[in-house]
Amino acid sequence: MAVVVAAARFWGPSRGLGQAALLALRRPGARGLARSHPHRQQQQQFSSLEDKPQFPGASAEFIDKLEFIQPNVISGIPIYRVMDRQGQIINPSEDPQLPQEQVLKFYKSMTLLNTMDRILYESQRQGRISFYMTNYGEEGTHVGSAAALDNTDLVFGQYREAGVLMYRDYPLELFMAQCYGNVSDPGKGRQMPVHYGCKERHFVTISSPLATQIPQAVGAAYAAKRANANRVVICYFGEGAASEGDAHAGFNFAATLECPIIFFCRNNGYAISTPTSEQYRGDGIAARGPGYGLISIRVDGNDVFAVYNATKEARRRAVAENQPFLIEAMTYRIGHHSTSDDSSAYRSVDEVNYWDKQDHPISRLRRYLLGRGWWDDEQEKAWRKQSRKRVMEAFEQAERKLKPNPNLLFSDVYQEMPVQLRKQQESLSRHLQTYGEHYPLDHFEK
Amino acid sequence: MLRLRAAGAERPWRRLRGAALARGLLQPAAAGHGAAQRRQVAHFTFQPDPEPQKYGQTQKMNLFQSITSALDNSLAKDPTAVIFGEDVAFGGVFRCTVGLRDKYGKDRVFNTPLCEQGIVGFGIGIAVAGATAIAEIQFADYIFPAFDQIVNEAAKYRYRSGDLFNCGSLTIRSPWGCVGHGALYHSQSPEAFFAHCPGIKVVIPRSPFQAKGLLLSCIEDKNPCIFFEPKILYRAAVEQVPIEPYNIPLSQAEVLQEGSDVTLVAWGTQVHVIREVASMAKEKLGVSCEVIDLRTIIPWDVDTVCKSVIKTGRLLISHEAPLTGGFASEISSTVQEECFLNLEAPISRVCGYDTPFPHIFEPFYIPDKWKCYDALRKMINY
Repeated sequence: MAVVVAAARFWGPSRGLGQAALLALRRPGARGLARSHPHRQQQQQFSSLEDKPQFPGASAEFIDKLEFIQPNVISGIPIYRVMDRQGQIINPSEDPQLPQEQVLKFYKSMTLLNTMDRILYESQRQGRISFYMTNYGEEGTHVGSAAALDNTDLVFGQYREAGVLMYRDYPLELFMAQCYGNVSDPGKGRQMPVHYGCKERHFVTISSPLATQIPQAVGAAYAAKRANANRVVICYFGEGAASEGDAHAGFNFAATLECPIIFFCRNNGYAISTPTSEQYRGDGIAARGPGYGLISIRVDGNDVFAVYNATKEARRRAVAENQPFLIEAMTYRIGHHSTSDDSSAYRSVDEVNYWDKQDHPISRLRRYLLGRGWWDDEQEKAWRKQSRKRVMEAFEQAERKLKPNPNLLFSDVYQEMPVQLRKQQESLSRHLQTYGEHYPLDHFEK
Repeated sequence: MLRLRAAGAERPWRRLRGAALARGLLQPAAAGHGAAQRRQVAHFTFQPDPEPQKYGQTQKMNLFQSITSALDNSLAKDPTAVIFGEDVAFGGVFRCTVGLRDKYGKDRVFNTPLCEQGIVGFGIGIAVAGATAIAEIQFADYIFPAFDQIVNEAAKYRYRSGDLFNCGSLTIRSPWGCVGHGALYHSQSPEAFFAHCPGIKVVIPRSPFQAKGLLLSCIEDKNPCIFFEPKILYRAAVEQVPIEPYNIPLSQAEVLQEGSDVTLVAWGTQVHVIREVASMAKEKLGVSCEVIDLRTIIPWDVDTVCKSVIKTGRLLISHEAPLTGGFASEISSTVQEECFLNLEAPISRVCGYDTPFPHIFEPFYIPDKWKCYDALRKMINY
């Protein structure tokens, strides 16, 4: 019976697959310029004359002493930084020596984001928007990395990366439009606030499930490699999301399929209320990289220049060598997880104040700017006033706008609307004709 | 054993020694016992469709060859198309990708690590970047680690982004359905889980000709699609299939045989079961059956099924997947809403039992032609 033959082919691992298994052997050794390793050459290397390991699974020497490897969490992977907490360059050869205009753009992006965060957080408290997430303390990770990329590099984020969009000049009006879900929202009002997306700025729309973006980013990087696009994909995620299976999947696929991707982990100390001591027991996320074959580094996420340097070099090599990089940016989540969270329930106000006052990416960059004579208190005052005014104007405008037409509830499920869905749309339409007074139709476009 | 007894007829009894003596003493299995030792033949007979005339030259292909042909056409036409999954490089555990790596290169046909959530997530990313992603999940039974990526991500990509982004160029292919001995984890038909998920399409072919046309349509469709391939048909189903590419439309059911007394609906392997049931009904009961292959599970062709039931007044739906929450429930519910006054009898569902798919009990588990025939008979006599 044909079925039996097919089944036997599958259930007999030694039949028909042995040949394939031999062909699939990989040559061990250091990765040079990344190319897929050729098949078939391993057969010449088999030699029982030498007493060396022949296992296909690892490239290693024998040892005759029983020794377990102790994970090193006391003195983990060191944290790369360029500036000290006072904004002084520590090692001048590491100073990226960026022009004044660019460093001012860093500063203004971070502070404008901060201002927008304050106003939108407050607007949720007042019931004007349903939900919000701030970026307090992590602005350096966004702006430092965004600045090191090309504008066309594709960004997959988690939800706390608004500074990347800010650096790419996403208008305040569109940030607000998404949070308000008004007619101007390019996302057509479908998602909760802060789930931004922008095609022109190559920022893939945020989704709530954590870490799902990680293997997706790898796929996009593979497609970019095939297209010879000379683009990198960057994928942001938190240290909590790094516990998800999708993170493991993404790291492994990126390494085995040799993808030009930067994995950027924002290790901010908390996943909602869960501190890192309950999230992992190893040396953070950077230490996992080598386990997958990823080139990895840990940086001070509150040091914009350190973030910039690491991302810049990772980008250069990822594209040139078609291989993934892992950057773990250490930082601290100064704000609550979201407007649905009150973090005083699980951490002390003192701890938060330390980071806010003593080690904040904005303060450190400001001190650098002041030290260079590129900024002063007067400009600071003027900029605070101007940025606040800009945010307030965008905010008021967003508030006044209508919400999109309820018909947009039904579109884009598929590229074309299925027959049965159109019937449901018509059914709602008829329902509203009779019962419309019970629905907030006045706030929606006709 | 039988050979020795024949020899014994020619040679004296005393020549048998040792093991040969023991063997000579053993009775050959009686007819009844012997039948119990042999494994069952298939519960269906594949019915090929007539050779298609309008698509050019055809070639005899089985199901896995028709899949290979569709994939070959796709990779030839679309330079961005790539195929990936576990073991696809050497040709695949069911030989669906044989020859494609050699023909199109290792950057286009490649293995991934053993990780279904990674395979689908990676595929979504390729599609988001604008390239065509054809992902293979080795058995539909193993699709569940990818459920989050399929339901929460792929299906919702276009909607949640306001059509800024989409993964329409993703197709997931996976072997599906009973195979005679697959048991819990090599026999499942999970279409009902995905039917509940707006944003994806789920397609199941009954034959090589259907498979190639439907798979090509899925690959070219601008929405993420899941294409389930009835594994029991990979070798068993053989028919003439066009060499050149062609499309069979999605979301269109096919009426295979017109009839006036009862409508039979199924998909995949089960279509061949109900075709036989239709013959049995004609022969034994003089009943005229309309046989429909649903082909696309979602979005499904409500109009064709309802039009048929309005005509016949009776509906029987059959699938291997368990009864409760199976896709027959959705069809039944919709048909009774749309065709209530036309119904002459309650809608009948002949499905797998509400158990995991068993190994040794498979012949009792599956909704075979006798169960379908019996249900049909009861409906006619209602």
